[in-house]
Amino acid sequence: MKKNFADRFINGIEWLAAIFVGIVALNIFVNVLLRKFFSTSIPDSYDFGRMLLGILIFWGIAATSYRGGHITVDLVWSAVGTSRRRMIDVFATLVLLFVVTVQTAMLFDKVRLTYIDHVLTYDLNIPTWPFYAVAWIGDVCAVILIAIRTWRLVFRPEALHDEHFEQKGGE
Amino acid sequence: MNTDLLALGGFVALFVLMLLRVPVGMAMGLVGITGYAWIAGAGPALKLVGQTSMRTVTDYTFGVIPMFMLMGAFVSVSGVSRELFKAANSLIGHLRGGLGVATVLACGGFAAICGSSVATAATFSSVAYPEMRRFGYPQSFSTGVIAAGGTLGAMLPPSTVLAVYAILTQQDIGKLFMAGVIPGLFAMLLYVLTVMVIVRVRPDWLPRGEVKPWAERAADLKDVWAPVVLFLFVIGGLYGGLFTPTEAGGVGASGAFLLGLVRGKLDRAKIKHALLSATRTAAAVFTVLIGALMFGYFLTITQTPQKLTEFLTGLGIGRYGVLALIMVMYLVLGCLMDAMAMIILTVPIIFPVIMQLGFDPIWFGVIIVMTVELGLIHPPVGMNVFVIKSVVPDVSFTTIFRGVLPFVATDICRLVILISFPMIALWLPGKMG
Amino acid sequence: QEKPAMLKLSSWVPAQHPLNPSLLAWAESLKKATNNTLTATLFPSEQLGKAFDHYDMARDGISDFSYVNPGYQPGRFPIIAGASLPFLFANAKGGSAAIDAWYRQYAAQEMKDVKFCFAFVHDPGTFHARKKILLPTDIKGMKIRPATSTIGQMVTALGGTNVQASAPESRDMLERGVADAITFPWGSIPLFGIDKVVSYHMDVPLYVTPFVWVMNKAKYDSLSLTQKKAVDDHCTTEWAERVATPWAEFEFGGHAKLAQPGHEVYKLTPEQLKAWRDATAGGEAQWAEAVRKTGQDPKKVMESLKASLARYKAAL
Ligand code: NA
Ligand code: NA
Repeated sequence: MKKNFADRFINGIEWLAAIFVGIVALNIFVNVLLRKFFSTSIPDSYDFGRMLLGILIFWGIAATSYRGGHITVDLVWSAVGTSRRRMIDVFATLVLLFVVTVQTAMLFDKVRLTYIDHVLTYDLNIPTWPFYAVAWIGDVCAVILIAIRTWRLVFRPEALHDEHFEQKGGE
Repeated sequence: MNTDLLALGGFVALFVLMLLRVPVGMAMGLVGITGYAWIAGAGPALKLVGQTSMRTVTDYTFGVIPMFMLMGAFVSVSGVSRELFKAANSLIGHLRGGLGVATVLACGGFAAICGSSVATAATFSSVAYPEMRRFGYPQSFSTGVIAAGGTLGAMLPPSTVLAVYAILTQQDIGKLFMAGVIPGLFAMLLYVLTVMVIVRVRPDWLPRGEVKPWAERAADLKDVWAPVVLFLFVIGGLYGGLFTPTEAGGVGASGAFLLGLVRGKLDRAKIKHALLSATRTAAAVFTVLIGALMFGYFLTITQTPQKLTEFLTGLGIGRYGVLALIMVMYLVLGCLMDAMAMIILTVPIIFPVIMQLGFDPIWFGVIIVMTVELGLIHPPVGMNVFVIKSVVPDVSFTTIFRGVLPFVATDICRLVILISFPMIALWLPGKMG
Repeated sequence: QEKPAMLKLSSWVPAQHPLNPSLLAWAESLKKATNNTLTATLFPSEQLGKAFDHYDMARDGISDFSYVNPGYQPGRFPIIAGASLPFLFANAKGGSAAIDAWYRQYAAQEMKDVKFCFAFVHDPGTFHARKKILLPTDIKGMKIRPATSTIGQMVTALGGTNVQASAPESRDMLERGVADAITFPWGSIPLFGIDKVVSYHMDVPLYVTPFVWVMNKAKYDSLSLTQKKAVDDHCTTEWAERVATPWAEFEFGGHAKLAQPGHEVYKLTPEQLKAWRDATAGGEAQWAEAVRKTGQDPKKVMESLKASLARYKAAL
């Protein structure tokens, strides 16, 4: 299928999230090596680790929301016919859109207050708000992607390619 | 409105939304915040959304989840499951039922480096199922043994579900991992015995595989060093004082990556696949965590956990009666949702009851994970079964469930034994001091 | 007729912690003083929110009263961070009165989003280690779990490495050698089972952690005049000391519990103590820089704290 803007957008987001998960692992690995063999550590390794975790999760949630990869209860959905399924899907996606929009608005508030309150990292005393802001942008992307998903679900259902949460462990 | 009624209404709304396929985490968050706003006002409730979301995703201890997922993803894409199965198969595949036993053993080996039950089941659906079918094993048995073997992924360390239980109840992750070892090995033993009983009852069902010459066997066995090294490094490092549980995950992921790279088993596409799959599953799990915390704050201000504890302890059915009731509830919930979601949703509510009844928190962690894992394979609905079905679409659900039933029976026996003899779980962590 | 109100008190320490009964006694006294119109429910163990968020929770009305460790958010409350500098407080009873009397001058500026009720400290903590620490130079190469970010910076400045972990995780980290030492108050060492894994205890009041008890502003404004007065009467220096005392006694009792075979509790000579003071002086300069940005004169602020400590017989 030809890749349009939304597909490239989503791929870009997923890639960024995936890179962050790699960086979190690398940060831990290097820190353990430094501690074991050189009795030292990456300054603020702990704070960087947890803030990168925040970034990777929010960016990951954006991708997961778009792909329909959240953990869901499929008991009713799998028991009904195609048209009812679509109704359920549209309803669920609208609720998702609502919840994530509220979350994004309130996270903006949180980032704003972190900036105003001048919260710093433990070792290096670097402001923490820029990390929170990057994580928040992931949530903004989630809202955009869920909106695209809703639109596609209603008008172009064939353009969706859902991947359920469980189906990715495999080889 | 009376707070008891409000809490009850909250649960009803939650289940309706979940049945309408609203993502579990989002449904919990929505109901939790709405209920919270009802009692404490919209201002504080909305503030709680931003605060809980940001605090949860930036909590260092939760980093253990994506890290062990990444480790599992790297070992999956580097073909470790295939090597393990080949080795086990090469040793015992020529015996009657040997391929089934080999599947159980390989699942156990894989479980020692992968933290997820569903991932283990998915992996072996593509690795072991075709082999068993090639030698004429019935569809039902082949899928059944994979579904059951998959649950070892969550029992044997490392285990993401056990880690999440530990974080939610403020128990030591290392101790919980240790507590899972003997019950996990015991589960393997019982699965092997189940296969042998089936061989006795239906000898024609599980034919012999091929006999391999010793030279070939040796060749098949030598690939097993990589997962063994990884397991010893990660679990040994965790107990030998090299690192904390979160670090064990990060180091394990890096180690799995390096091993895959050194052995030439990873290319760009596979690395990308592993990173993406860890990110996606982590994001899905964190969504549930955030939602469950919001729902939990709502339950806290309605004081539901305290009231539930009073109610259950006041029933006069004794502590084992209450425990049985709780386990039945988990089996019912197992028809609806995934293990991780179930643990995250229920443990904060149930744990105070268990403490009040004087049960050991480490032991209960093992019991509850086993119960939840049983929910993944018992009919009418089970996540491991769905996953197998998605990898092998030509098998019907009924067939898989028929195959899984003997293993469900041994699982129930195992639960009864573990409840009667808590030492099975507690002996090893007790040795750790 | 007074309008009755229910107050949510939030504390992040576990239910069995000695601070919680003090807070309940405080709430009981407030209830009596308001003719039972102000009743309270205490939510311990982070039931309403994480430890790090307790200040925001009081600000946002998620709780009505919050027990806050301002040090959890480095940089946000620079003035009160002065109290966490090493070698200032000799004890927690007088120390709690002293920090409260001192911080009242600045609370309205630094904690303007909430109604400040009182400030207090725990009984002074020290290094509890797997090997003997006598001089600041011994810290070089050690892996230490610091109590506060101020102590963390001191450790780094002395050439040590910080290992971060929650209080319950600390025992395992020490046992497995991920950390060599911890800074902790005394009574908490046996409470968390850490006495099984460390044997050397430097008997010197190294540091305290400052805490505040704060109230949601809107909640305060919604009260009647007599209720407000009752709350004000419970937000005093006397109450700061009263609430802090049982915990202080519990932590102080740890000295006796640790003085047993297998443990070495050792004092420092005046020269050794001087070496420590000199080696850790850099922390005060860093703190002064942060305070200057708030518009306060760090020298005056520190002198005021020391004067208050002297007045309440809590200076080291
Ligand atoms: Na495992
Ligand atoms: Na089930």
